Amino acid sequence: MEEWRFIDFGLVDIRDMMAMDEAILKGDEGNTFFFWTPRKSIILGYFQKADVELDLNQCKDYTITRRISGGGIAFSDDRCRQINYGVVGTIDNDRFPLDIIGSYKQVCGVLIDTLIEYGLNAAFRPINDVTVDSKKISGNAQTRWEGKLLQNGTLLLDFDIEEMLRISNIPKEKFMDKKISSIREGLTWVDRELGEQRNMEEIQNLMKRKFEERFNVRLKTGTLSAKEKELTKSLLPKYHSDEWVYR
Amino acid sequence: MDEAIKPKQGLHKSKGGLIRSFVKTENGIIKDISISGDFFMFPEDAFFRMVQELQGIHAIREDIERKIQEIYIKEKIQSPGTFPADFAESIMKALEV
Repeated sequence: MEEWRFIDFGLVDIRDMMAMDEAILKGDEGNTFFFWTPRKSIILGYFQKADVELDLNQCKDYTITRRISGGGIAFSDDRCRQINYGVVGTIDNDRFPLDIIGSYKQVCGVLIDTLIEYGLNAAFRPINDVTVDSKKISGNAQTRWEGKLLQNGTLLLDFDIEEMLRISNIPKEKFMDKKISSIREGLTWVDRELGEQRNMEEIQNLMKRKFEERFNVRLKTGTLSAKEKELTKSLLPKYHSDEWVYR
Repeated sequence: MDEAIKPKQGLHKSKGGLIRSFVKTENGIIKDISISGDFFMFPEDAFFRMVQELQGIHAIREDIERKIQEIYIKEKIQSPGTFPADFAESIMKALEV
């Protein structure tokens, strides 16, 4: 059976992680599936503006960076109950479709298969969301480079809506209660759906197995290559720079 | 964009994401424009050329949409769920008094 690389980066600084993310896409080490756990942080989508999206005075204790793919803010609170994953795959029109929505659907299928295993009513909602009973539980973002795709996404195990609103650039007091209830209706997380806290590693292991089944491969644990490490080093200043984050 | 004068934000939600525009005009011509949001566009860097090319054109929907369509063709842009008309709509909302 074909072997693809698997890496678990563990708890990371998101600036380092976004540099490694780009390095895996632009390196040459074959298809890769990886996990990481972000510390308290905010990752802006490629087309977002920090001062438009965020109340920057409220974000002083957050690490903020930007990723190379579009989409919205990936917000991580200090509960660290989020599974963040990345997939780099060669677009072959089979396992990784050329069609953008088709390829989102394929990769998001790993999350859906995982959630279904827990008895949840998970589905793909185009363009890039996974839902449980029509509530968003996972956001995903994709970019492409020289015939390869990079998809990042997050599976919420727990989520602090109040904290997200506190740092967002929305009029506060006046709409706070209304916002919280409307977000609660549109968003959900695994702990809430299951009514209990499941072990994060257990869910990650199940995701790995569902990935192997869906792509018909065996995941082999590996590390970054020397070339990827070099590339990461050269990309790091960008992810730390104000020019990139606050452009 | 000059922060001293905060223009009105034009918000438009396309199927592919929220588009936020800020536009400054002079004599009906777009002088300064900023677009951001949580949409997707491939190739990503074509976006900045698109925004740049909107400066200097007439601030009317037809001209804005035609210009964006031209850039989409020239740059071979794909933006799932977001269309040139969506960007034009966001810009028009920013221009509303």
